[in-house]
Amino acid sequence: MADVLRTLADPPSAPAEPKLALRDVVVTRRTASGATITATDRLTFDVAQGEFVCLLGPSGCGKTSLLNVLAGLVMPSTGEALLDGRPITGPGPDRAVLFQEPALFPWLSVLGNVELGLELIGVPAAARHDIAQRWLANVHLERWADAQPHELSAGMRQRLALARALAADPGVLLGDEPFGALDAQARELLQREVQRFWVESDDRKTFLFVTHNVREATLLADRVLVMSAAPGRLLEEFRIHAPRPRDLDDVLISRVVSEIHTLLMQEVDASVAREMAR
Amino acid sequence: MEGALLPGPPPRSIRVMVDASKSAADEQLSELALTEEEKLVLAKVAEILRKIQFGTVVLVVQDGKVVQVEMAEKFRLR
Repeated sequence: MADVLRTLADPPSAPAEPKLALRDVVVTRRTASGATITATDRLTFDVAQGEFVCLLGPSGCGKTSLLNVLAGLVMPSTGEALLDGRPITGPGPDRAVLFQEPALFPWLSVLGNVELGLELIGVPAAARHDIAQRWLANVHLERWADAQPHELSAGMRQRLALARALAADPGVLLGDEPFGALDAQARELLQREVQRFWVESDDRKTFLFVTHNVREATLLADRVLVMSAAPGRLLEEFRIHAPRPRDLDDVLISRVVSEIHTLLMQEVDASVAREMAR
Repeated sequence: MEGALLPGPPPRSIRVMVDASKSAADEQLSELALTEEEKLVLAKVAEILRKIQFGTVVLVVQDGKVVQVEMAEKFRLR
């Protein structure tokens, strides 16, 4: 029993060097009218190797900008983003990104989509088919291998995107509201699948998801970072030590959900009041 | 209970009150005659409580035994 207690209550020992690090990152962007908007304001945080972190915040708080910086799609105005201690200068096969809308190739079959991902990172042709088949089986799409993406439901398409991302064996999986466009059942299934992959992988991957769904963040993450309204700063961090797969009915999970919800509502009210005072 | 340990009525000083509560806690613990398993659980809970400033600790009990300790810790970053 002592072992069980220790496993759940003790935080994992943090490695010396974080997998992902943001140092005083400011992201600004231009609006259509030419004005400059500060999306994130001097953000600093680390994500350890093998950690599952969710970034949560009201709409427009710069969550997506931040993820784009880590994906190498956007450069910060000031500050730096690091992967394994080295500055991120562009996209790379070491980081896979899951978007809200799965960016699948409509002219390729389901299997072909996964194989192309493998081809792009230089997996030899002979090995591609087997790896792709294995990952399709992992997301329960093996019977759909020869179908075209448009024949799949939204949930199945996102499962395919997940399989394609993880088949390439990236060290980091970045998710930008990856389940945002799904119906409730498909979302729940994907949440379970993602938890399963993260828990079961031999060399545990680093997952960083941004979401505005409090329940999703609490269900999935070791750490939930709550951001303020724009310009995004970090408000609070919740470290959750609860076994997986987690259940929203769990006393701890529902309590954390309610605390974060209250915090976000306060933040939204405060930002509305600030806007009104202008 | 503390009256029995001290001669006469206990003086109304804070110090004596603290001492009295300490011995009351000890007495309560010895009356409980904790099992090894219960001591482990309490030690774990005490260890967690010493570490966290803000948060929630949940004990999950099944069939009269604590099978899990879950916790969530909160940090203010602003």
